Amino acid sequence: MAKSILTLKGISRDFYDAKVRQRVLKNIDLEFYAGELAIVAGPSGSGKTTLLSIMGLILKPSEGRIYIKGEDVSDLAEDREATLRRRNFGFVFQTPTEIPALTILENILVANAVQGTRVPPALRDKAQSLLASFGLSEYAHVKPKVLSTGEKQRVAIARALINDPVLLLCDEPTSALDAENSALVLDTLKGVSRDDDRGVVLVTHDPRVYPYGDRVITLEHGAVVHDWRREVAA
Amino acid sequence: MRSLVAYRMLVHDRAPTAGAVLGVVAILFLVGQQLSTLFGLFTYMSVLVDHSDADVWICGKFTDNANSTGQLPVRYVDRLSGLADIAWAEPVITTAGETRRKDGKAEGVVVIGLPAPRLTGGPWAFERGSVDTLLDYDGVTVDSRDLELFGDPELGDVLEVNKKRVRVNAVTKRITSFGGTLVFTNRTKAREISNLPPDRCSYILVKLKRGADVDAAVAKMRAVLPRAEVFPKDVLSRLTRAYYLINTGIGFSFGFTTLMSSLVGIVIITLTMYTSILNREKDFAVLRALGGRKKDIFVIVLCQAVIIGAVGIFLGFLLLALFLNGTRDSNLASFVPLWFPFVHAAFTLALCLLGSLFAIRHATRVEPATAFR
Repeated sequence: MAKSILTLKGISRDFYDAKVRQRVLKNIDLEFYAGELAIVAGPSGSGKTTLLSIMGLILKPSEGRIYIKGEDVSDLAEDREATLRRRNFGFVFQTPTEIPALTILENILVANAVQGTRVPPALRDKAQSLLASFGLSEYAHVKPKVLSTGEKQRVAIARALINDPVLLLCDEPTSALDAENSALVLDTLKGVSRDDDRGVVLVTHDPRVYPYGDRVITLEHGAVVHDWRREVAA
Repeated sequence: MRSLVAYRMLVHDRAPTAGAVLGVVAILFLVGQQLSTLFGLFTYMSVLVDHSDADVWICGKFTDNANSTGQLPVRYVDRLSGLADIAWAEPVITTAGETRRKDGKAEGVVVIGLPAPRLTGGPWAFERGSVDTLLDYDGVTVDSRDLELFGDPELGDVLEVNKKRVRVNAVTKRITSFGGTLVFTNRTKAREISNLPPDRCSYILVKLKRGADVDAAVAKMRAVLPRAEVFPKDVLSRLTRAYYLINTGIGFSFGFTTLMSSLVGIVIITLTMYTSILNREKDFAVLRALGGRKKDIFVIVLCQAVIIGAVGIFLGFLLLALFLNGTRDSNLASFVPLWFPFVHAAFTLALCLLGSLFAIRHATRVEPATAFR
């Protein structure tokens, strides 16, 4: 049986627009497992990115509880949340977010050393091997501007994996890519999800991505309207 | 890694970094130049007191600075000689004089008449000649900076001061006073120039015996000379500087310029660093999303401020050193006490950090959720 990584119970989130409350997530109950690529789909404004932010401890829910591997992390202080985020989650954003001032290798390492820790040689080696596995070794010491958007997204995946996260949270990672690069990135994410200790959650509104998912969760108006899981062959 | 990120961002954003460094350079150079000039003027204000080997100066009643005193009875020396702590006491004469150049133009001078043979309170640096030449009855010194004023005299040339004949026997090296052009001579000649009665003098300089308690000795002197002011040397020096600072507007002028220079520098640093942070907002959001805490962002921006401060301080001091070196032989007063560079560097760094506060505040408030936008 697949290991539960993240559990959301009764998650709601309100935003205020000119003092008028808008509930963008409504009583969400979800559980995410290792070895699974889960796609969160839905139209624009359905609350996908808000849900992803709450899952990654970037945004606090207005109501509900969050559990990482069974541990309640709903009421942690900001610094503790940041540390948990660093240890447990990897992020791939919609557009490339490499820091242009850093080299590709430094961009990957910063995800580990952002809290001021020293970078051990073993971690440097790991970053190099991640780059090699994505065919980007030759770019280790150059700035991100020389990379294509597809290459930058693969660097973002490498950066997300440097801390061995239990969950990779990807916010429409292929929206800025052409078909060929999209396929490359999605194959990479699919591969990453085939790990007994890690899951991948991918937010998208692009139906072409659905076939890559082991599970497709559909959000509409802030509520889960459909949660489909691919049947695993016996 | 945080300091590396800070450094890399600064190098990447060259234009705003250069702007912020310029702000630091502006503070360091402008404030440094102003204050070195003020310190230079300080040395002019109390030059005679600071370079005398006397421990105590006795002046006329109500004297509030070393460059203006009334007349004192010379017999006060006898009263002082009776005190146990006193090694010697010597009357000195100062008087305003007027000299005529060869072209007939009049120039004001301050004549200092020193007691022979000790010639205490006399000149301490010479380009030509020596202090002993003042033992010659007509002997005077003129300063190297004032030679043109006197018509470029050679040693042995005869001049007139208050229509009295004097002979240039020595040229002093950069001895300048706030009160005017200094001409040293012996007390007899000064008395002739000033027409001061033989029983009067301007100051009495007192040297205490080795190990004597200055405060106790001063108290005893005040007791025997109730109609005179008795100042320890350092007190008279401070009083003189304070007098000019307050009464001439120098203090306000230099204070205002220093304040304005600091403000301009801070504004430049604040604006450039803040703009730079605005441009880097997404990067900080990503760092926060990746697990960076607010304090990590604080450290990154603080590192940037320190790096900008350090580079600016180095360049500012370089510029200041070049300026001071270039104006060393001019008439511009400038002096840099040994402690000043350290205090000024700390002050400038503090202003740089102050200027970075808005940037720090903004950067630490960037929400990690904005990385998703």
